[in-house]
Amino acid sequence: MSDPKEPQPKEAGKAPAPKEDAAKPLAEKIGFAKLDLTVEEVEERISPRETNVFDK
Amino acid sequence: MIQTSSFPIALVFPPQGHFTQPYLALPCISAYLKAGGFPDVEVIDASVEAYDRFLSRDYLLRAAERVEERLPLARFGGRDALGFEDMEAFRAAAESAASAASVAHEVEEAKAVLRGEAFYDTARYVPAVRTLYHGLRLVSASWFPSQLTPHNFTMRYANDRSREVLAAVDDGAENPFLEHFEAELLPRLLAKRPRVLGMSVIYGSQLIPALTLGRMVKRHLPDCHVTAGGGFLAYIGKKLMHAPGIDTCLDSMIFHEGEGPMLALCQALAAGDEPRDVPSTTWFDRSGARVRAVENPPGHPIRLDEAPLPDFDGLPFERYFSPEIVLPFDINRGCYYGECTFCTLPTVIGPGYRTRRADTIADHVVQLKERYGARNFNFITDCMPPGMIADLPEALIEREADVRWWSDARVEPRAYTREGAQLLYDSGCRKLLFGFESATPRLLKMMKKGQSVRATLDVARNCAAAGISVTFYAMVGFPSETREEARATLDFLLDNSDVVREVSLQTFHIDEVAETYRDPDAFGIRILDDPEADLQLYHEYESESGMTSSEAAEMFAEMMEGFRSRLALFAGDNIFYFMQKSHYFLHLARDVHPDAFAERCRARTRRLAERGASPGLAPAPGLSLIELPFSYTGAVGALAHPLARAVRPDFLTGRYVAGAREEAARAIGALAPEPRVLAYAGGRGEFVELRPDGRLALEAIQRAGSVGALQAEASAEDAEHLARFAARLHALGLLVDEREATVPAHATPPAGVTSNS
Repeated sequence: MSDPKEPQPKEAGKAPAPKEDAAKPLAEKIGFAKLDLTVEEVEERISPRETNVFDK
Repeated sequence: MIQTSSFPIALVFPPQGHFTQPYLALPCISAYLKAGGFPDVEVIDASVEAYDRFLSRDYLLRAAERVEERLPLARFGGRDALGFEDMEAFRAAAESAASAASVAHEVEEAKAVLRGEAFYDTARYVPAVRTLYHGLRLVSASWFPSQLTPHNFTMRYANDRSREVLAAVDDGAENPFLEHFEAELLPRLLAKRPRVLGMSVIYGSQLIPALTLGRMVKRHLPDCHVTAGGGFLAYIGKKLMHAPGIDTCLDSMIFHEGEGPMLALCQALAAGDEPRDVPSTTWFDRSGARVRAVENPPGHPIRLDEAPLPDFDGLPFERYFSPEIVLPFDINRGCYYGECTFCTLPTVIGPGYRTRRADTIADHVVQLKERYGARNFNFITDCMPPGMIADLPEALIEREADVRWWSDARVEPRAYTREGAQLLYDSGCRKLLFGFESATPRLLKMMKKGQSVRATLDVARNCAAAGISVTFYAMVGFPSETREEARATLDFLLDNSDVVREVSLQTFHIDEVAETYRDPDAFGIRILDDPEADLQLYHEYESESGMTSSEAAEMFAEMMEGFRSRLALFAGDNIFYFMQKSHYFLHLARDVHPDAFAERCRARTRRLAERGASPGLAPAPGLSLIELPFSYTGAVGALAHPLARAVRPDFLTGRYVAGAREEAARAIGALAPEPRVLAYAGGRGEFVELRPDGRLALEAIQRAGSVGALQAEASAEDAEHLARFAARLHALGLLVDEREATVPAHATPPAGVTSNS
């Protein structure tokens, strides 16, 4: 996890590969089970302003 | 002899109205002026023109540049906290950074989808509409904090205070229509040099844009008389005409029905006279040392049966966001019932109730069909009287009109019988919208609806059995209504979701014309005045019993959640059909049965929910990932708080809650910094928030080529973890399989994950 005050630059399309792990397959290097793969979506609340659509 | 042929007139519908179909008032006035001897009349829908330009590739690219200048995302980095006052800006900056390139790339194709045969393919339609919504968010961010949506236009300024309205008119940094009119409309008007500019202001959201245009025209064309009328001005026009400074934007205002006064105004001006004898008009007398507003007495309404055919010539049918035009046509004006205690609509159209004969309506409909090639009609009426409910379909069938139509309706149990409903269907009626309001008899009595819940349901069932789609208008928060009563209304509507396909739900509000305002004691309420609001139309109130207005707002959210969970058209992104006027109707107009359409929506919802983690999944083409210093969903959640929503002046109700910003800031607090990633995959879905680890996983999938390729080299535990993540992202459109990747979201931007780091 990067510090928000000092964003860690990452190159698109490349996962970090510590030197000692260079020979391991990508998935093993990353170790998905340890990652925080939380996904959050926004259910947009619909305002009364946007529902009286037949008058407008 | 007055030379009316050399008397050019421009009739303008100012932004903001909905972008799916033209409005009716100006075509009616245009026809009346032409019949009255003024041939040079141009009708301009400045609203759809603005939407069409704003939602263009070039404009959105410029908007993205403006956002980078005005709201750079980097501004939010390095902070200890994100306060409430900055959350809206943060949200706008984050969304723009993630979506701008994609939205600009997709927007032209999205409009083409809505205007063509692909409109009828849900897999193409939904992403197209979503792209337009996201495009408007980008436009709004570039004029931050102003907001333009398909249904509204709001600025930081309240439109119930003339000083704020006039400040908005001159705010070049936040008023998008100053730039737009200068670039697009003013040059055309300068070339045409109209002697009269008439504007139709039927919604509060049009007030600032209309005055913006009015002031601009008065500056550049001092010989042009600028007038305005329309439903919204019928409410606040008198106050507006007496507010200081409005004479810099307008020369006169016409109240109620516009045809007669507009013709009289043009005749007076063509003869070189002041509008002293123009009925129903208030005008500025500039002859003395001080400008003075003069109120002329009201005139008589026109004989509707003798009014000419509405003249839609010159309107840019190809620019509306619909594949087929739906023409509005008014079958009557006013309301023959006119008793409902909450309703003031009949008062804004002028005195009394007037109707056309059924055979005149059928004649006009056939003529409009032939002249414009339009088969679809939106009959404009507050309610059809029982006789017309039988006569109109008979006349349309007799004339072999072969049209499809929808309209508002009042519950008339003797007219909407099984046979009556079948006749309506046979005449082309495909959708009717009834004022249901509430399932509580006590409240219906207070509203003087004159209808029972049972009769309403019978009418709806008869219409549904004939194949007509039924929509109910419902209301939450009528004085003294309790939460339990509102929940009973919700339960009733959900129990009858096989009959009621759509619910147009509104929170109750009081305007100065309604009986609830004039006789508050009868409703157990106390009206609150805002002395600062010189253009006040809507009022806050305190009720002796029942929900407060903020509790009603909470109940609105609860009810909407209920509809979204149970009504097929409201589930997930199917709601776009409900929210775009006429779009659902256009499917019905092709004789798709409401049951079949509902099943189509349900099947779509199921399909999306069942999306799993197939091995072939890969990042969606053009997927964009943006690093954020704070949680996007945290900010959006805070902004959805009822206190946060009260901060922005509401252009529909005019409510402006004094001190709301400070109160919201206290109650909502601030967000702590947290590294987050905002993901956006074009019109395929909404914005999604990931942790930095999620980005790592996505980039690994990208490098491996697919989820399956990555899983093949992973441990069982890792593979399972990855599968859950992939399934979720597949449902949200961030990962796609090979087949989905080839379906354009619309057009596909360059492949690969794009990133801000």
